[in-house]
Amino acid sequence: MTVFRAFLKVLNQCRIPIILYTVLLVGFGGFQMQTNESSMGFTASRPEISIINRDENAGITRGLLSYMAENCEIREMKEEELDDALFYRDVSYILYIPENYGKDFLEGRETELEVKSTGDYHSSYAEMLLSRYLKTARAYVKYAEDGEELAAAVSGILEKQVSVEVTSKLDTGNLEKAAFYYNFLNYSLLAGCVYVICLVLSSFREEKIRRRTAVSSMDYRKMNRLLLLSNGLFAFALWLLYVILSFVLVGKVMFTAQGLLYVANSFVFMVCSLAIAFLIGNLVGNKNALNGIVNVVALGSSFLCGAFVPAEWLPDSVLKAAHILPSYWYIQTNEFLKTMEDVSFTSVRPILVNIGVILGFTLIFIVVADIISKKREKFSGR
Amino acid sequence: MFWHNFKYTAKTLLGDKMLIFWTFAFPVILGAFFYMAFSDIEDSEKLHVIDIAVVENTGFRESEMWKESLEVLSDEASGEQVFCTKYVSEEEAKRLLSEKEIAGYFMLADGEPQVTVASDGINETVLKYVVEEIYQTEEIVRNTAERRIQQGEMPTAEFYEQLSKEVMNLVDSENGGIRDISGANLSYTMIEFYTLIAMTCLYGGILGMVAVNQNLANMSSKGKRVSVSPVGKSRMILSSVLAGYVIQMVGVALLFAFTIFVLHVDYGNHLPLIVLLALCGGLAGLSVGIAIAVLVKSGDNVKTGIVISVTMAGCFLSGMMGITMKYLVDKNIPLLNLLNPANMITDGLYALYYYDTFDRYWQNAASLLVFAFSMILFSVLGLRRQKYDSI
Repeated sequence: MTVFRAFLKVLNQCRIPIILYTVLLVGFGGFQMQTNESSMGFTASRPEISIINRDENAGITRGLLSYMAENCEIREMKEEELDDALFYRDVSYILYIPENYGKDFLEGRETELEVKSTGDYHSSYAEMLLSRYLKTARAYVKYAEDGEELAAAVSGILEKQVSVEVTSKLDTGNLEKAAFYYNFLNYSLLAGCVYVICLVLSSFREEKIRRRTAVSSMDYRKMNRLLLLSNGLFAFALWLLYVILSFVLVGKVMFTAQGLLYVANSFVFMVCSLAIAFLIGNLVGNKNALNGIVNVVALGSSFLCGAFVPAEWLPDSVLKAAHILPSYWYIQTNEFLKTMEDVSFTSVRPILVNIGVILGFTLIFIVVADIISKKREKFSGR
Repeated sequence: MFWHNFKYTAKTLLGDKMLIFWTFAFPVILGAFFYMAFSDIEDSEKLHVIDIAVVENTGFRESEMWKESLEVLSDEASGEQVFCTKYVSEEEAKRLLSEKEIAGYFMLADGEPQVTVASDGINETVLKYVVEEIYQTEEIVRNTAERRIQQGEMPTAEFYEQLSKEVMNLVDSENGGIRDISGANLSYTMIEFYTLIAMTCLYGGILGMVAVNQNLANMSSKGKRVSVSPVGKSRMILSSVLAGYVIQMVGVALLFAFTIFVLHVDYGNHLPLIVLLALCGGLAGLSVGIAIAVLVKSGDNVKTGIVISVTMAGCFLSGMMGITMKYLVDKNIPLLNLLNPANMITDGLYALYYYDTFDRYWQNAASLLVFAFSMILFSVLGLRRQKYDSI
């Protein structure tokens, strides 16, 4: 009990960083989660665009405007705000319609629309939509008497849709939310565990305190056991808190088999974080260095393995290097779960492999930590 | 005395490993992480060639229109390739889809085009869109033919062939009539590196704080000794602060060198202006450190904590943890970012990179100086006539 009480005292000292990691998790998790409603049919992607129309709203111009509005999200804003909006991807495409565009188009004069584009896939798609309208209009322009007739003919053609069948019955939107949350958890859990456990270990290893406990009646084996237990208890409590938060934030998809696998996967990772924390705690004695080490370890493995930036967007070389970090295997499982259709032995196999690798890492960390602490015990003498 | 104190303050500051880690090494490490994580992100957001399958049934084999159009779109040599197409049976297409090897497949069922996909998404949307485009082109041919026949042309085979060629030419033509006028500098990951520079400038505040603390009688025994020495307070503090500033600038220069030569970050063509902004930014960071050292009456650790949290909060608002945050604040609570030194630095660099005009840059540089001098003014007012009969 004495050891546990001392542990709680140290824990109380580092409540601020723990709160910070949790706030980050909830903040970023929640930030990402407001969007997308789940629906069963096919929903086309809608690029966000802005249109500055200097022509009168009639004829072919009106037809173009309403066609773009049908297929894109139109963002209304002041013209001077558009450049910033484009840079920050608030809109991915801006369309400037010049004066007399409709009239010139109808009379067969050379016309030109100016656009600004971010170059990403949303803007490419917006440009496809725009050029489809223009091409169709050009095919009909010689048959049309006036702008209204042309617009009507074009929209008659563009109304023809192709039926789309969606095979997946998965609630991908919500599973993606869960994956995002659990990927970010990599940072919070790792940083939290390493920070607290290293601080506890180094507090107990301080010269004066170590000497005092050495002469006390407390058996050092028992003390180590109790220390391990309380650290484990802390890691478990932190994990449990994050899991409960995930149920609150992500919602009912957590109650499916995939949701359960997210939880199980994070549990294994929690055990691994505990081992990492013990290893670092044994390597580093200096309390002041702790903050730097936590940041480098937790931020590093989160950036390199895809906890912040989705793994599919990382360069291949970085992902290859990331194989030597347990976070990589943890996040791969989360990504895999996102699109897993059914839960059976064959479909779960890759997950079991990943979990096996994480447990292997855990074992290595524990063994190394043990060797180091033994060596240190010898050198420091009794 | 000025240079004597300058020299020894610099030595003490450089000897503090924690200080050097946070001001020199940490920004470089973070920069390396940013680089590794973000170097491919914008390329991944471009539209790539999409893997699809086409069910090769009798209906498809008989339709020249569909066959030809899909061939053109899947042509690797054309430079405008949209799809990488496999021609397979329906069962095979279903298998490919379930194994996620294709985004979707296309099938002509009784002459009606049909698209099957696994889920929503941009690739799926493009597939639907392109199939629709071909379908609509077919409709245009039919429609124009009717009109022409009504106008008295003879519906011969030659007539149809010529017409469909005409329409196809129109549809396959380049994007005539659209001119892209967007600037070249659109890479938003640059903001991440700009916030990094802002962070380094503001972290320099810790140096200023430690340097000033050494001269304060209520902070350290060294401060007590300095206070009773027959040297003017202003001279001592000025030389200490100058030492902090020089070391801070070395850290910033190190980060610039690392990002330019190792990470190949492109700062545009205005290097002198960028250096000027970094100098102003460093001064602002330093002034925050000095103000906190003077105005906050508590221990070293609390002061360091305050500098770090002010810096991180400022960087967060200026987009370090996601550039959307900067945009949201700029748009909705502009006042917050006008007072935020981290954002002044980030925004100044952004204005240089993205805009052709310099108004916004100068505005930011000026506000940094105003910010720095008002902080220093507060500190001077706080330090003036600080005397102790006993302590």
